[in-house]
Amino acid sequence: MSAQIVTWRRTHAVLGFVVALVAVAAGQVQPAKPPAGVQGPLRGGYTEAGTLPARILDFKAEPASIKPGESVTLTWAVENPRSTTISPTVGRAAPRGVLKVTPKATTTYTLTVTGTNGTVTKTVTVAVAGTKAVATSETEPADISKQPTPRTADGKPDLTGVYGYGQGAARGAPPPATAPGSLPRTPTLKPGAEKYRVVRGPEDTGLYSTCTPPGVPQTFMVPYYVQFVQSPKYLIILHEYLHLSRTIPLDGSPHPSDPDPFWMGHSTGKWEGDTLVVDSIGFKESEINGYKTTESLHVVERIRRPNLGTLEYEAVIEDPNVFAGPWLITRTFPLLPEYNRVDEFFCENNRDYKPLFGK
Amino acid sequence: MDRRTFLTAGLGVLVSAGIAKAHHSTAMYDMANPVTVKGTVKRFEWTNPHAFIFLEVKDDKGGTAEWEIELMSLNHLRSYGWVRNTVKVGDVIAATGGAARSGAPSMIAGVVELPDGRKIRS
Repeated sequence: MSAQIVTWRRTHAVLGFVVALVAVAAGQVQPAKPPAGVQGPLRGGYTEAGTLPARILDFKAEPASIKPGESVTLTWAVENPRSTTISPTVGRAAPRGVLKVTPKATTTYTLTVTGTNGTVTKTVTVAVAGTKAVATSETEPADISKQPTPRTADGKPDLTGVYGYGQGAARGAPPPATAPGSLPRTPTLKPGAEKYRVVRGPEDTGLYSTCTPPGVPQTFMVPYYVQFVQSPKYLIILHEYLHLSRTIPLDGSPHPSDPDPFWMGHSTGKWEGDTLVVDSIGFKESEINGYKTTESLHVVERIRRPNLGTLEYEAVIEDPNVFAGPWLITRTFPLLPEYNRVDEFFCENNRDYKPLFGK
Repeated sequence: MDRRTFLTAGLGVLVSAGIAKAHHSTAMYDMANPVTVKGTVKRFEWTNPHAFIFLEVKDDKGGTAEWEIELMSLNHLRSYGWVRNTVKVGDVIAATGGAARSGAPSMIAGVVELPDGRKIRS
Protein backbone atom coordinates (compact mmCIF):
# COMPACT_ATOMS: atom_id res chain seq x y z
CA MET A 1 0.00 0.00 0.00
CA SER A 2 1.40 3.38 -0.90
CA ALA A 3 2.30 5.99 1.71
CA GLN A 4 -0.09 8.34 -0.03
CA ILE A 5 -3.05 6.10 0.66
CA VAL A 6 -2.02 5.53 4.26
CA THR A 7 -1.82 9.30 4.80
CA TRP A 8 -5.14 9.79 3.09
CA ARG A 9 -6.81 7.21 5.30
CA ARG A 10 -5.42 8.72 8.50
CA THR A 11 -6.51 12.18 7.44
CA HIS A 12 -9.99 10.94 6.84
CA ALA A 13 -10.20 9.06 10.12
CA VAL A 14 -9.38 12.31 11.97
CA LEU A 15 -11.78 14.33 9.85
CA GLY A 16 -14.52 11.81 10.45
CA PHE A 17 -14.09 12.22 14.22
CA VAL A 18 -14.20 16.01 13.93
CA VAL A 19 -17.32 15.80 11.78
CA ALA A 20 -18.99 13.63 14.40
CA LEU A 21 -18.21 16.16 17.15
CA VAL A 22 -19.41 19.12 15.08
CA ALA A 23 -22.50 17.26 13.96
CA VAL A 24 -23.58 16.39 17.49
CA ALA A 25 -22.96 19.94 18.74
CA ALA A 26 -25.13 21.61 16.10
CA GLY A 27 -28.75 22.31 16.95
CA GLN A 28 -30.53 20.55 14.11
CA VAL A 29 -27.98 17.80 13.51
CA GLN A 30 -28.29 14.85 15.85
CA PRO A 31 -27.04 11.27 15.98
CA ALA A 32 -29.70 9.18 14.28
CA LYS A 33 -31.88 7.08 16.56
CA PRO A 34 -31.66 3.39 15.70
CA PRO A 35 -35.00 2.04 14.49
CA ALA A 36 -36.89 -0.04 17.04
CA GLY A 37 -35.76 -3.63 17.21
CA VAL A 38 -32.71 -3.11 15.03
CA GLN A 39 -29.27 -3.97 16.32
CA GLY A 40 -25.86 -4.04 14.74
CA PRO A 41 -24.25 -1.66 12.25
CA LEU A 42 -26.54 1.13 11.09
CA ARG A 43 -25.05 1.81 7.62
CA GLY A 44 -26.12 5.37 7.21
CA GLY A 45 -29.88 5.64 6.99
CA TYR A 46 -30.19 2.45 4.97
CA THR A 47 -30.82 0.21 7.97
CA GLU A 48 -33.81 2.31 8.99
CA ALA A 49 -34.89 2.50 5.34
CA GLY A 50 -35.25 -1.28 5.36
CA THR A 51 -37.80 -1.06 8.20
CA LEU A 52 -40.13 1.60 6.76
CA PRO A 53 -43.72 0.43 6.24
CA ALA A 54 -45.29 0.35 2.79
CA ARG A 55 -48.43 2.48 2.43
CA ILE A 56 -51.02 3.46 -0.13
CA LEU A 57 -51.43 7.22 -0.50
CA ASP A 58 -54.06 7.12 -3.20
CA PHE A 59 -56.05 4.73 -5.38
CA LYS A 60 -58.99 5.98 -7.37
CA ALA A 61 -60.99 5.40 -10.54
CA GLU A 62 -62.41 8.34 -12.49
CA PRO A 63 -65.21 8.38 -13.37
CA ALA A 64 -66.53 5.80 -10.94
CA SER A 65 -69.51 4.97 -13.19
CA ILE A 66 -69.48 4.46 -16.94
CA LYS A 67 -71.60 3.12 -19.76
CA PRO A 68 -70.53 -0.07 -21.54
CA GLY A 69 -67.61 0.63 -23.89
CA GLU A 70 -66.38 3.69 -22.01
CA SER A 71 -63.05 3.88 -20.19
CA VAL A 72 -61.99 4.93 -16.72
CA THR A 73 -58.64 6.15 -15.45
CA LEU A 74 -57.03 4.39 -12.53
CA THR A 75 -54.58 6.53 -10.55
CA TRP A 76 -52.48 5.27 -7.69
CA ALA A 77 -49.60 6.30 -5.43
CA VAL A 78 -47.64 4.03 -3.11
CA GLU A 79 -44.59 4.55 -0.88
CA ASN A 80 -41.90 2.15 0.37
CA PRO A 81 -43.24 -0.89 -1.54
CA ARG A 82 -41.39 -4.09 -2.26
CA SER A 83 -44.02 -4.98 -4.82
CA THR A 84 -47.10 -3.30 -6.24
CA THR A 85 -49.85 -5.08 -8.18
CA ILE A 86 -53.34 -4.26 -9.41
CA SER A 87 -55.91 -6.93 -10.13
CA PRO A 88 -57.74 -7.94 -12.17
CA THR A 89 -55.96 -7.68 -15.54
CA VAL A 90 -53.26 -5.09 -14.78
CA GLY A 91 -50.67 -7.13 -12.88
CA ARG A 92 -47.37 -5.59 -11.76
CA ALA A 93 -47.41 -1.83 -11.47
CA ALA A 94 -44.96 0.98 -10.76
CA PRO A 95 -45.43 2.68 -7.35
CA ARG A 96 -47.00 5.69 -9.06
CA GLY A 97 -49.15 5.34 -12.12
CA VAL A 98 -52.05 6.32 -14.31
CA LEU A 99 -53.77 3.74 -16.50
CA LYS A 100 -56.82 3.71 -18.72
CA VAL A 101 -58.98 0.57 -18.43
CA THR A 102 -62.21 -0.44 -20.14
CA PRO A 103 -64.05 -2.96 -17.97
CA LYS A 104 -66.93 -4.72 -19.71
CA ALA A 105 -68.88 -5.17 -16.50
CA THR A 106 -68.90 -3.68 -13.01
CA THR A 107 -65.44 -4.43 -11.60
CA THR A 108 -63.69 -4.00 -8.28
CA TYR A 109 -59.98 -3.26 -8.73
CA THR A 110 -57.62 -4.16 -5.90
CA LEU A 111 -54.30 -2.41 -5.35
CA THR A 112 -52.01 -4.72 -3.37
CA VAL A 113 -48.75 -3.46 -1.91
CA THR A 114 -46.30 -5.59 0.01
CA GLY A 115 -43.57 -4.18 2.19
CA THR A 116 -41.79 -4.76 5.46
CA ASN A 117 -45.16 -4.47 7.22
CA GLY A 118 -46.81 -7.23 5.19
CA THR A 119 -49.58 -6.57 2.71
CA VAL A 120 -51.71 -3.42 2.36
CA THR A 121 -54.68 -3.32 -0.01
CA LYS A 122 -57.21 -0.81 -1.24
CA THR A 123 -60.11 -1.34 -3.64
CA VAL A 124 -62.11 0.82 -6.00
CA THR A 125 -65.24 -0.28 -7.82
CA VAL A 126 -66.10 0.86 -11.31
CA ALA A 127 -69.85 0.55 -12.01
CA VAL A 128 -70.70 -0.26 -15.61
CA ALA A 129 -74.36 0.63 -16.27
CA GLY A 130 -76.64 -2.31 -16.90
CA THR A 131 -74.08 -4.98 -15.91
CA LYS A 132 -73.56 -7.23 -12.93
CA ALA A 133 -70.35 -7.22 -10.95
CA VAL A 134 -67.85 -9.78 -12.23
CA ALA A 135 -66.21 -12.09 -9.76
CA THR A 136 -62.68 -10.90 -9.10
CA SER A 137 -61.08 -14.17 -8.19
CA GLU A 138 -57.79 -13.18 -9.79
CA THR A 139 -55.58 -12.03 -6.93
CA GLU A 140 -52.17 -13.23 -8.00
CA PRO A 141 -50.60 -11.57 -11.02
CA ALA A 142 -49.47 -13.87 -13.80
CA ASP A 143 -45.96 -15.23 -13.27
CA ILE A 144 -44.07 -13.82 -16.23
CA SER A 145 -41.23 -16.29 -15.74
CA LYS A 146 -43.68 -19.08 -16.63
CA GLN A 147 -44.87 -17.46 -19.86
CA PRO A 148 -43.20 -18.40 -23.16
CA THR A 149 -40.39 -16.57 -24.88
CA PRO A 150 -41.82 -13.87 -27.14
CA ARG A 151 -40.78 -14.32 -30.77
CA THR A 152 -40.46 -12.18 -33.86
CA ALA A 153 -42.23 -12.94 -37.15
CA ASP A 154 -39.21 -14.96 -38.33
CA GLY A 155 -39.29 -17.11 -35.19
CA LYS A 156 -36.27 -15.62 -33.42
CA PRO A 157 -36.54 -14.75 -29.74
CA ASP A 158 -37.62 -11.14 -29.30
CA LEU A 159 -35.39 -9.58 -26.64
CA THR A 160 -37.39 -6.32 -26.57
CA GLY A 161 -38.19 -5.06 -23.09
CA VAL A 162 -37.01 -3.05 -20.09
CA TYR A 163 -34.96 -5.09 -17.65
CA GLY A 164 -33.90 -4.50 -14.08
CA TYR A 165 -30.36 -4.91 -12.85
CA GLY A 166 -30.91 -8.32 -11.43
CA GLN A 167 -31.00 -7.50 -7.77
CA GLY A 168 -31.21 -10.83 -5.99
CA ALA A 169 -31.64 -12.82 -9.15
CA ALA A 170 -28.16 -11.96 -10.34
CA ARG A 171 -26.56 -13.01 -7.10
CA GLY A 172 -26.03 -16.69 -6.75
CA ALA A 173 -28.25 -17.48 -9.70
CA PRO A 174 -27.24 -20.62 -11.56
CA PRO A 175 -25.30 -19.83 -14.72
CA PRO A 176 -27.20 -20.00 -18.00
CA ALA A 177 -27.25 -23.43 -19.59
CA THR A 178 -24.99 -22.20 -22.39
CA ALA A 179 -22.22 -21.02 -20.06
CA PRO A 180 -18.81 -22.40 -20.98
CA GLY A 181 -18.35 -24.19 -17.69
CA SER A 182 -14.59 -24.39 -17.79
CA LEU A 183 -13.96 -20.65 -17.74
CA PRO A 184 -13.03 -18.95 -14.46
CA ARG A 185 -15.43 -16.37 -13.08
CA THR A 186 -12.74 -14.05 -11.81
CA PRO A 187 -9.85 -12.63 -13.82
CA THR A 188 -6.24 -13.62 -13.31
CA LEU A 189 -3.53 -11.14 -14.22
CA LYS A 190 -1.04 -12.24 -16.84
CA PRO A 191 2.40 -12.70 -15.24
CA GLY A 192 4.27 -9.40 -15.36
CA ALA A 193 1.09 -7.37 -15.99
CA GLU A 194 0.90 -5.81 -12.51
CA LYS A 195 0.74 -2.32 -13.98
CA TYR A 196 -2.79 -3.11 -15.15
CA ARG A 197 -4.07 -3.46 -11.60
CA VAL A 198 -6.23 -0.44 -10.65
CA VAL A 199 -5.20 1.32 -7.42
CA ARG A 200 -7.75 3.81 -6.13
CA GLY A 201 -6.97 6.86 -4.05
CA PRO A 202 -7.44 10.60 -4.09
CA GLU A 203 -5.71 10.84 -7.46
CA ASP A 204 -7.87 8.18 -9.07
CA THR A 205 -11.42 8.05 -7.77
CA GLY A 206 -12.53 5.82 -10.60
CA LEU A 207 -14.66 5.92 -13.68
CA TYR A 208 -17.93 5.91 -11.74
CA SER A 209 -16.97 9.12 -9.94
CA THR A 210 -16.10 10.88 -13.21
CA CYS A 211 -19.14 9.60 -15.13
CA THR A 212 -16.88 7.82 -17.62
CA PRO A 213 -18.62 5.08 -19.64
CA PRO A 214 -17.88 1.70 -18.03
CA GLY A 215 -17.88 -0.12 -21.39
CA VAL A 216 -18.92 -3.70 -22.07
CA PRO A 217 -19.97 -5.68 -20.11
CA GLN A 218 -19.63 -3.35 -17.10
CA THR A 219 -22.49 -1.06 -18.12
CA PHE A 220 -24.76 -4.06 -17.42
CA MET A 221 -23.41 -4.29 -13.88
CA VAL A 222 -24.52 -0.87 -12.59
CA PRO A 223 -27.80 -0.48 -10.67
CA TYR A 224 -29.74 1.07 -13.54
CA TYR A 225 -32.29 -0.33 -15.96
CA VAL A 226 -31.56 -1.33 -19.55
CA GLN A 227 -33.90 -1.42 -22.54
CA PHE A 228 -33.57 -3.78 -25.51
CA VAL A 229 -35.26 -2.78 -28.77
CA GLN A 230 -35.05 -5.45 -31.44
CA SER A 231 -35.81 -5.14 -35.13
CA PRO A 232 -35.14 -7.81 -37.78
CA LYS A 233 -31.78 -6.23 -38.62
CA TYR A 234 -30.60 -4.66 -35.38
CA LEU A 235 -30.62 -4.96 -31.62
CA ILE A 236 -30.48 -1.54 -29.96
CA ILE A 237 -29.41 -1.59 -26.31
CA LEU A 238 -30.32 1.55 -24.36
CA HIS A 239 -28.56 1.68 -21.03
CA GLU A 240 -30.10 4.12 -18.59
CA TYR A 241 -26.67 4.63 -17.01
CA LEU A 242 -25.06 7.62 -18.76
CA HIS A 243 -27.65 7.14 -21.53
CA LEU A 244 -25.21 4.84 -23.32
CA SER A 245 -26.45 2.96 -26.36
CA ARG A 246 -25.20 0.18 -28.60
CA THR A 247 -26.30 -0.67 -32.13
CA ILE A 248 -25.73 -4.34 -32.89
CA PRO A 249 -26.38 -5.65 -36.42
CA LEU A 250 -27.88 -9.15 -36.29
CA ASP A 251 -26.49 -10.44 -39.60
CA GLY A 252 -23.02 -11.27 -38.32
CA SER A 253 -21.49 -8.57 -40.51
CA PRO A 254 -17.71 -8.28 -40.01
CA HIS A 255 -16.00 -5.73 -37.79
CA PRO A 256 -14.22 -2.82 -39.46
CA SER A 257 -10.60 -3.75 -40.08
CA ASP A 258 -9.32 -1.00 -37.78
CA PRO A 259 -12.26 0.40 -35.79
CA ASP A 260 -11.92 3.73 -34.01
CA PRO A 261 -11.80 2.93 -30.29
CA PHE A 262 -15.14 3.64 -28.61
CA TRP A 263 -16.04 3.42 -24.94
CA MET A 264 -18.74 0.88 -25.87
CA GLY A 265 -16.67 -0.77 -28.62
CA HIS A 266 -17.84 -2.09 -31.97
CA SER A 267 -20.31 -4.96 -31.87
CA THR A 268 -21.74 -7.45 -34.32
CA GLY A 269 -24.30 -10.14 -33.55
CA LYS A 270 -25.69 -13.36 -34.95
CA TRP A 271 -28.15 -15.97 -33.80
CA GLU A 272 -26.96 -19.43 -32.77
CA GLY A 273 -30.30 -21.17 -32.29
CA ASP A 274 -32.13 -19.15 -29.63
CA THR A 275 -28.93 -17.53 -28.35
CA LEU A 276 -27.79 -14.14 -29.62
CA VAL A 277 -23.99 -14.09 -29.78
CA VAL A 278 -22.49 -10.59 -29.82
CA ASP A 279 -18.82 -10.13 -30.60
CA SER A 280 -17.24 -6.79 -29.63
CA ILE A 281 -13.83 -5.20 -30.22
CA GLY A 282 -12.58 -1.65 -30.73
CA PHE A 283 -12.70 -0.46 -27.13
CA LYS A 284 -10.94 2.51 -25.61
CA GLU A 285 -8.59 1.80 -22.73
CA SER A 286 -10.81 1.38 -19.68
CA GLU A 287 -11.18 -0.96 -16.73
CA ILE A 288 -13.08 -4.04 -15.63
CA ASN A 289 -13.40 -5.38 -12.08
CA GLY A 290 -10.34 -3.56 -10.81
CA TYR A 291 -8.12 -4.14 -13.84
CA LYS A 292 -7.19 -1.73 -16.61
CA THR A 293 -8.02 -2.98 -20.07
CA THR A 294 -6.39 -2.11 -23.39
CA GLU A 295 -7.52 -1.67 -26.98
CA SER A 296 -7.01 -5.44 -27.34
CA LEU A 297 -10.09 -6.10 -25.21
CA HIS A 298 -12.42 -8.64 -26.85
CA VAL A 299 -15.84 -9.45 -25.38
CA VAL A 300 -18.24 -12.17 -26.52
CA GLU A 301 -21.72 -11.91 -25.04
CA ARG A 302 -24.36 -14.63 -25.18
CA ILE A 303 -27.92 -13.48 -24.55
CA ARG A 304 -30.98 -15.70 -24.17
CA ARG A 305 -34.58 -15.12 -23.16
CA PRO A 306 -35.75 -18.52 -21.87
CA ASN A 307 -39.17 -17.12 -20.92
CA LEU A 308 -41.05 -13.83 -21.03
CA GLY A 309 -39.72 -12.59 -17.72
CA THR A 310 -36.03 -13.46 -17.84
CA LEU A 311 -32.93 -12.39 -19.76
CA GLU A 312 -29.89 -14.60 -19.31
CA TYR A 313 -26.60 -12.88 -19.99
CA GLU A 314 -23.00 -13.99 -20.09
CA ALA A 315 -19.85 -12.28 -21.25
CA VAL A 316 -16.50 -13.90 -21.99
CA ILE A 317 -13.73 -11.34 -21.52
CA GLU A 318 -10.29 -11.50 -23.07
CA ASP A 319 -7.41 -9.04 -23.14
CA PRO A 320 -4.08 -10.71 -23.94
CA ASN A 321 -2.16 -7.71 -22.58
CA VAL A 322 -3.78 -7.98 -19.16
CA PHE A 323 -5.37 -11.32 -18.34
CA ALA A 324 -3.86 -14.79 -18.19
CA GLY A 325 -6.84 -16.10 -20.15
CA PRO A 326 -10.53 -15.58 -20.92
CA TRP A 327 -12.93 -15.32 -18.02
CA LEU A 328 -16.68 -15.17 -17.62
CA ILE A 329 -19.33 -12.92 -16.10
CA THR A 330 -22.95 -14.15 -15.93
CA ARG A 331 -26.09 -12.34 -14.88
CA THR A 332 -29.84 -12.88 -14.96
CA PHE A 333 -31.90 -9.75 -15.57
CA PRO A 334 -35.64 -9.64 -14.75
CA LEU A 335 -38.12 -8.12 -17.18
CA LEU A 336 -39.87 -5.06 -15.71
CA PRO A 337 -43.26 -5.21 -17.45
CA GLU A 338 -44.39 -2.08 -15.63
CA TYR A 339 -41.84 0.06 -17.53
CA ASN A 340 -41.63 0.84 -21.24
CA ARG A 341 -38.61 3.16 -21.32
CA VAL A 342 -35.47 4.02 -19.41
CA ASP A 343 -34.93 7.44 -17.86
CA GLU A 344 -33.04 10.27 -19.40
CA PHE A 345 -29.66 10.31 -17.76
CA PHE A 346 -27.19 13.14 -17.95
CA CYS A 347 -24.40 13.03 -15.41
CA GLU A 348 -24.80 16.63 -14.35
CA ASN A 349 -24.42 16.66 -10.61
CA ASN A 350 -21.60 14.36 -9.67
CA ARG A 351 -19.60 17.47 -8.85
CA ASP A 352 -19.25 16.71 -5.17
CA TYR A 353 -17.75 13.31 -5.49
CA LYS A 354 -14.12 14.35 -5.86
CA PRO A 355 -14.17 17.11 -3.20
CA LEU A 356 -15.71 14.71 -0.71
CA PHE A 357 -13.05 12.20 -1.49
CA GLY A 358 -10.46 14.60 -0.13
CA LYS A 359 -9.27 16.37 -3.25
CA MET B 1 -13.37 -5.07 4.06
CA ASP B 2 -10.75 -2.37 4.34
CA ARG B 3 -11.25 0.86 2.49
CA ARG B 4 -8.65 0.19 -0.16
CA THR B 5 -10.36 -3.03 -1.17
CA PHE B 6 -13.65 -1.20 -0.99
CA LEU B 7 -12.44 1.46 -3.40
CA THR B 8 -10.59 -0.87 -5.72
CA ALA B 9 -13.39 -3.32 -6.08
CA GLY B 10 -15.78 -0.45 -6.56
CA LEU B 11 -19.33 -0.59 -7.62
CA GLY B 12 -19.68 -4.27 -8.37
CA VAL B 13 -18.82 -5.13 -4.80
CA LEU B 14 -21.09 -2.41 -3.50
CA VAL B 15 -24.00 -3.89 -5.36
CA SER B 16 -23.29 -7.50 -4.59
CA ALA B 17 -22.64 -6.81 -0.92
CA GLY B 18 -25.90 -4.91 -0.71
CA ILE B 19 -24.28 -2.13 1.30
CA ALA B 20 -25.90 0.59 -0.74
CA LYS B 21 -26.93 0.70 -4.32
CA ALA B 22 -25.42 4.12 -4.98
CA HIS B 23 -23.82 4.39 -8.40
CA HIS B 24 -20.58 5.31 -6.71
CA SER B 25 -18.80 4.30 -3.54
CA THR B 26 -20.08 5.63 -0.21
CA ALA B 27 -16.57 5.54 1.26
CA MET B 28 -16.47 9.32 1.63
CA TYR B 29 -19.47 9.21 3.96
CA ASP B 30 -19.44 7.95 7.54
CA MET B 31 -22.08 5.27 7.19
CA ALA B 32 -21.41 3.64 10.57
CA ASN B 33 -22.47 6.72 12.57
CA PRO B 34 -25.60 8.05 10.89
CA VAL B 35 -26.93 11.47 11.78
CA THR B 36 -30.30 13.13 11.33
CA VAL B 37 -30.32 16.64 9.88
CA LYS B 38 -33.46 18.77 10.10
CA GLY B 39 -34.04 21.95 8.15
CA THR B 40 -35.87 23.86 5.46
CA VAL B 41 -35.64 22.85 1.80
CA LYS B 42 -33.97 25.56 -0.29
CA ARG B 43 -33.66 23.60 -3.52
CA PHE B 44 -34.44 20.09 -4.80
CA GLU B 45 -32.52 18.74 -7.78
CA TRP B 46 -34.44 15.85 -9.35
CA THR B 47 -31.56 14.58 -11.49
CA ASN B 48 -29.37 11.60 -12.23
CA PRO B 49 -27.02 10.12 -11.27
CA HIS B 50 -28.25 11.25 -7.84
CA ALA B 51 -30.98 13.59 -6.65
CA PHE B 52 -29.98 16.32 -4.18
CA ILE B 53 -31.82 18.29 -1.53
CA PHE B 54 -30.23 21.53 -0.30
CA LEU B 55 -31.31 22.10 3.26
CA GLU B 56 -30.97 25.22 5.40
CA VAL B 57 -30.06 23.92 8.84
CA LYS B 58 -29.95 26.01 12.04
CA ASP B 59 -27.19 25.41 14.54
CA ASP B 60 -27.54 26.05 18.28
CA LYS B 61 -25.74 29.42 18.03
CA GLY B 62 -28.34 31.02 15.80
CA GLY B 63 -26.39 30.53 12.59
CA THR B 64 -27.36 28.47 9.57
CA ALA B 65 -25.54 26.13 7.25
CA GLU B 66 -26.60 24.77 3.89
CA TRP B 67 -26.48 20.97 3.91
CA GLU B 68 -26.31 19.04 0.71
CA ILE B 69 -28.35 15.83 0.99
CA GLU B 70 -27.52 13.25 -1.64
CA LEU B 71 -30.27 10.74 -2.47
CA MET B 72 -30.35 7.72 -4.74
CA SER B 73 -30.80 7.88 -8.50
CA LEU B 74 -34.22 8.59 -9.95
CA ASN B 75 -35.01 4.97 -10.83
CA HIS B 76 -34.48 3.94 -7.21
CA LEU B 77 -36.40 6.93 -5.86
CA ARG B 78 -39.33 6.17 -8.16
CA SER B 79 -39.32 2.57 -6.97
CA TYR B 80 -39.71 3.89 -3.41
CA GLY B 81 -42.67 6.04 -4.52
CA TRP B 82 -40.96 9.40 -5.04
CA VAL B 83 -42.05 11.93 -7.61
CA ARG B 84 -40.36 15.23 -8.41
CA ASN B 85 -42.56 17.15 -5.95
CA THR B 86 -42.38 14.72 -3.03
CA VAL B 87 -40.12 17.39 -1.53
CA LYS B 88 -40.88 21.06 -2.17
CA VAL B 89 -39.00 24.30 -1.51
CA GLY B 90 -39.93 25.55 1.95
CA ASP B 91 -40.75 22.11 3.36
CA VAL B 92 -39.30 21.35 6.78
CA ILE B 93 -37.88 17.85 6.54
CA ALA B 94 -35.38 15.61 8.29
CA ALA B 95 -32.83 13.43 6.52
CA THR B 96 -30.99 10.50 8.10
CA GLY B 97 -27.77 9.25 6.61
CA GLY B 98 -24.01 9.20 6.64
CA ALA B 99 -22.30 12.60 6.85
CA ALA B 100 -19.21 13.48 4.83
CA ARG B 101 -15.93 12.42 6.43
CA SER B 102 -14.31 15.55 4.97
CA GLY B 103 -16.27 17.78 7.34
CA ALA B 104 -18.36 19.31 4.56
CA PRO B 105 -22.06 19.81 5.46
CA SER B 106 -23.03 16.95 3.20
CA MET B 107 -24.57 13.52 3.57
CA ILE B 108 -26.00 10.61 1.64
CA ALA B 109 -29.41 9.90 3.13
CA GLY B 110 -31.26 6.60 3.41
CA VAL B 111 -34.46 8.03 4.90
CA VAL B 112 -36.27 11.36 4.52
CA GLU B 113 -39.01 12.40 6.92
CA LEU B 114 -41.53 14.61 5.10
CA PRO B 115 -43.41 17.57 6.70
CA ASP B 116 -46.42 15.39 7.63
CA GLY B 117 -44.21 12.82 9.36
CA ARG B 118 -44.20 10.24 6.56
CA LYS B 119 -40.84 8.55 6.30
CA ILE B 120 -39.74 7.43 2.86
CA ARG B 121 -36.69 5.56 1.62
CA SER B 122 -34.24 7.76 -0.22
